Amino acid sequence: MQSIQQWLPFLIPIIVLQLALMIFALIDLARRERTRGPKWLWVVIIVLGELIGPILYFVIGQEEE
Amino acid sequence: MGFFVALRKELLEQWRSYRLLVVVIVFTVFGLLSPLIARFMVEFFKLLPNGEQIAQIIPPPTVADAITQYLKNLSQSGVILALLLTMGAVAQEKDKGTAAMMLVKPLARGAFLGAKFAALSLTFALSIVLAGAGAYYYTLLLFQPLPLGGWLALNGLLLLFILVYVAVTLLCSTIARSPVVAAGLAVALVALLGAVGALPGVGEYLPGRLLTWGAAVAGGGAGTGWPAAGVSLGIVVTALVGAWLLFERQEL
Repeated sequence: MQSIQQWLPFLIPIIVLQLALMIFALIDLARRERTRGPKWLWVVIIVLGELIGPILYFVIGQEEE
Repeated sequence: MGFFVALRKELLEQWRSYRLLVVVIVFTVFGLLSPLIARFMVEFFKLLPNGEQIAQIIPPPTVADAITQYLKNLSQSGVILALLLTMGAVAQEKDKGTAAMMLVKPLARGAFLGAKFAALSLTFALSIVLAGAGAYYYTLLLFQPLPLGGWLALNGLLLLFILVYVAVTLLCSTIARSPVVAAGLAVALVALLGAVGALPGVGEYLPGRLLTWGAAVAGGGAGTGWPAAGVSLGIVVTALVGAWLLFERQEL
């Protein structure tokens, strides 16, 4: 267990970046009137998909207004 | 409307659609994660049942492992993002009719394509700078300082490697009518490039060699990959010129 605590500080910036990407995706989703596919599904994909979820949303999910 | 106006529009578009942010964050995450994975791989194994024994056979991690991880993660995510971001570049604008709208204004088609490629190149270059800085810092903390010149060379080669895929996908996006077809074409070309590279002696001349060259340079070793660099540049130029010639003849 001690070894895990040793590398936790190194993980913090990585987790912050991942969370930031997730939040940006969710904000964009909330503001958008229409998306390709149901909105609730995109919320699930963005939140559970780690890095891949927000990427898929930004590349596929956004519908131009 | 000239090249720089089109470039400004492209960059603004990448900013507004969060695509710039996506590449920057994904690259920086992998830049930071790579030395960390290399350093703590043994610790991960120790957490598994019977992991202690596995951990004993694994040699202690070195800075070379950090470089290998970095190249593997960045090149893989780089190729995927190059395809995803570029596949719609021309095809989507043709599909929606926005390309026709843009080009009604006196915007040369070459400038239209050039601005797309330049904007994507800048996005990947910025992302590699941040990923490279992050990985350099974490490698310094977890292992030892890397030779700066070699590290810069590695990242330059990584950028060229990714730009090959951007250029090829841009050509596919020009050929195809829809982004999905463009992506399919690009994936087929990437697979073909991989298959050809597996032939004995051929890999030396293909973009993949840029990565092994970069690893050697960053590790302080020597080795050349100039033929591969020449071929990679050749692919970029051929794909861009091909896309331009084709685009000039297309009905929008």
